[in-house]
Amino acid sequence: MTEREFGDAYVRWSSSLRKYVYRIVGSASDVDDIVQEAFLRTLRADLQGDDEEQWRRYLYRVATNLIVDQWRRQKHERGSETMHEPASPPPHYEDEATVAKVFEELKPRERALLWLAYVEGESHEEIAASLGVGRRSVRVMLIRAKRHLRDLLQARGIFAKS
Amino acid sequence: MTDWFVFRDDEERAIATFMSRVANVRIPDPESPTLSSNTLWWKAKLLDRWEAERRAQWPLDIMQPIEIVGGLVAAGLLLYWSLPYLL
Repeated sequence: MTEREFGDAYVRWSSSLRKYVYRIVGSASDVDDIVQEAFLRTLRADLQGDDEEQWRRYLYRVATNLIVDQWRRQKHERGSETMHEPASPPPHYEDEATVAKVFEELKPRERALLWLAYVEGESHEEIAASLGVGRRSVRVMLIRAKRHLRDLLQARGIFAKS
Repeated sequence: MTDWFVFRDDEERAIATFMSRVANVRIPDPESPTLSSNTLWWKAKLLDRWEAERRAQWPLDIMQPIEIVGGLVAAGLLLYWSLPYLL
């Protein structure tokens, strides 16, 4: 990859990757570090061929791994019971802050799955490549994530239980 | 068992609507990463060069203690064989 090609890829993907990382991490403090490290590692991986999609998937995969590593470190430092446990559920999700807060209640892997599926519009196969997991696992993991999100939304009375 | 995999239409809609709202939530400084692509490019090149240097230096680093041990063993043997002539 040439310097110019990398510059183009950086312009094309950095904004959406920052948004993705920010939504999964849930705080602004580490976003730039993760995004930069993801670009750096993807560039140094020296991927063969000119497949932009392959490059983008690898970039998201590296970023997701960095996020999961960071989440594990934080979990280890703070103790698992303090992570992602809201003190009291907000009554509804009408404003941006509450939407973000509800999303943060999901596990990082669930957030990544839902983001890639719904926001990036990736197929199960593409998600598997982005997250570095098996294609068959993605379907089950995605259903679990959707069930978790559905339960969170039901708890806030967004729609009634069946 | 089947129910576990099935979502009602309104549930699917609610999840899709929620995710579109999540996607539209603003983030702080969405367009201002602290490092430029140019800086990242040269950082990557620098890291590649350091790694190449480390790889090239590695046999030398390994050989250094071997040379010292070999030298000491040779000196010891020389002293051992020379002892009868020295005494």
